[in-house]
Amino acid sequence: LLAPDELLCCFYSMQFWLDKAVAWGQADSPDTQKDTCLHLNRLRDFLQQLLAHINNMVTETMKKLPLLGQFLGRLCWNPYVTAGDTFRRPLLQCLWGLYSEHPSNAVERKANQWIRKVLCQLATEEDDGVAQALMKHMGVPAKEYHVNVLKKVLSKYSYWCSCDSILATSDACVPLITCPEASPLIGALLQQPVTCVKEALSEHFLDALSSAYSSWNLSLEEQAVVSLWYHSLPSLEEAVLSLLESVTNTVSTPQMLHQQVAQSLLVGILFFFMRNLSIRIKSVCCVVLSFCPLGGTTKCFETWFLLVQCAHWVQAAVQLLVTSEPEDCGPLLWLLTFYHHPTTGGTTECFGVQVRAREAWEHLRSVFLVSARPPIDRLQSLVTPLSSQPQQPSPAPLLTLSLLVNLLFSASGR
Amino acid sequence: MEAVLKNLSSTVELLAVAANSGAVEQWDKHTMSRAFDWARYCEHVHSRFHNNPAIRRVMEQQLELTNRSLQDVIPGYTEVSFSDLPRLQHLLLIGLLNNPELPISLIKMLFDTRSPLDNMQSEYQDVTGLCSHIIRCKAACKVLSPLIDLSAAGAEVQGRMLMERLGALLSRGSDTRPAEHFLGCVLQGCQGAGRQFCLVITAALLTTKNSAAQTAPREFLLDWLQNKHSVLQSLCSALPATLLIDLAKDHNKFRDAYCDVLKKWASDMEYCVSEGEWVQTSTNPTVSFQKLTEKFMALFEACPSLRANTEKELKALKISDGDFDVKGLSVWGDLLSALNM
Repeated sequence: LLAPDELLCCFYSMQFWLDKAVAWGQADSPDTQKDTCLHLNRLRDFLQQLLAHINNMVTETMKKLPLLGQFLGRLCWNPYVTAGDTFRRPLLQCLWGLYSEHPSNAVERKANQWIRKVLCQLATEEDDGVAQALMKHMGVPAKEYHVNVLKKVLSKYSYWCSCDSILATSDACVPLITCPEASPLIGALLQQPVTCVKEALSEHFLDALSSAYSSWNLSLEEQAVVSLWYHSLPSLEEAVLSLLESVTNTVSTPQMLHQQVAQSLLVGILFFFMRNLSIRIKSVCCVVLSFCPLGGTTKCFETWFLLVQCAHWVQAAVQLLVTSEPEDCGPLLWLLTFYHHPTTGGTTECFGVQVRAREAWEHLRSVFLVSARPPIDRLQSLVTPLSSQPQQPSPAPLLTLSLLVNLLFSASGR
Repeated sequence: MEAVLKNLSSTVELLAVAANSGAVEQWDKHTMSRAFDWARYCEHVHSRFHNNPAIRRVMEQQLELTNRSLQDVIPGYTEVSFSDLPRLQHLLLIGLLNNPELPISLIKMLFDTRSPLDNMQSEYQDVTGLCSHIIRCKAACKVLSPLIDLSAAGAEVQGRMLMERLGALLSRGSDTRPAEHFLGCVLQGCQGAGRQFCLVITAALLTTKNSAAQTAPREFLLDWLQNKHSVLQSLCSALPATLLIDLAKDHNKFRDAYCDVLKKWASDMEYCVSEGEWVQTSTNPTVSFQKLTEKFMALFEACPSLRANTEKELKALKISDGDFDVKGLSVWGDLLSALNM
């Protein structure tokens, strides 16, 4: 249940949003259009907030927010709000929330009637009387007519050389990002050859796209999605993240995963862009891990080689290891060990290396837990046992040293 | 055929129930989906048989019977005619949404906004999100309207649909009355020969420009326009000159009709002494003598063959006015001199 003060917050926001809704409905100037587009995401968040309140206590909410109906009603008639699925959905859900299955008083009955009326009008009313008459005489259903008009409108868009038109169009398309019919236009905008020095597509447009992409609300063709990655680094990051998550979370066999990941164009981009993105290291480790148990030495070497090219990842892994809880250490240790001592997984050799790495790490950790600045002789004694067994392959002294250095630095930094 | 007629009748009855009866309270997703399936079936029946006069007549008779029996039972019942069949799903939707007894769960289904991908796997994919689809298209058009002329786009779609329908009506047989009736309805629907009507007709004529298959409806439309003088006049004054010239170039009948309109405008002019110019008195909106001359010249430039005949006609008219060479006495004389004839 939500706290009463949260409802109060809603109450104050409501006035703001109602004023906005009124303003947007009154004028249809480029300024109001722009204002609507800029506020769409926040409006969606507010609607979701409202929805939470409505779902909990309808009559309470209606009493405290008497302008709620007026507000929702105005939004229903705003095409900038209703064109995109992501904005129309919470709006309609608010309306459903206000509907009473078993109305117990006149207010509830009236609310029900009003909701039905608004929805009926939205779906069936035509503001163009001429078009309506023509549809009737020509025997053309409304849906077919509107779909055709939209197709015609989208096809009339011509790609001028001037950057200004592309900028203006991309801005205008913000409300249409989650409108599936408009995806060819959005795709075309994304795939415009970049001829200008400055970014031709509006930043607002790219932000909105990226946000829709991360919440799985975008329906674009594959080529358009790749173009989106080029334009918007956050979208690429999002794509990489979701791929990594699917690799780590899917229950499918490692073989399937491997095929999936290996065949994906994304893998190449993944490693190429790793330098620039702040992706969770553990997920990276898991991806790398998924490659190595299979495929033999060639695949292993390829993976190791790629990892070497992104050495700063390893550095970051070390730093992360130093600050992690013991239970999170597994993948990080594995990555570090692999970096310093690449072996194919599943072999006894690999297993042995991993075990010793773990032991070494835990030993190091325990030393530093006792004292942030362990005495030099203590540290020396750490290194010696590790190199005292030359017959058995040990995690390279480099690893130990690197870990030591990092531990010392993090300790002194604290 | 008997089965088809029975299905047709049952679906019309179903529609009546959907729109007027409290029985919809018992409907579930499956029932509603089936209702739309039947409506779609009737749409298909129409497209299959509308060009077959014999079958069409039988169906019309069946519908008449069904309508009559429903009228007896349901007060304020709206008839469903044969020409309503192509839009039966939409009529069903309107009926359902206006029925206060329709369960809210079914309304939610119609307004569902799940992603298209989800819907493809749904059992009721045709019905789920039906209203959302319509709302989305209408809203998207409005959002894009600052960039693109929406009324022009609408007119283009309407024009194409008009020609398709006209073609279908003309292919039924030699009787042109349904086609004429149709055009009359279109004119009425447009509330007279206003701007929208003009845009639609122009779009209809221009979209079928290069289509050989559309010759019949195009010629028919031009004939019809010629016989409706007021419509033609409105068309000629509402549309931009370049568009009119295009039409005149491509259609001889239109060219001649246009020329006649220009002559009519000239004949309506009176000489205003204070202004020293010929002005139109009756028609609205008015065209100046200057503009009229320009239109004539543009027409002759585009259609040189017209010039000689028109010159002859104008000369004859000037003679009938007294054959004076003084300005302000005969509009025909002044026109001839303005056109260097």
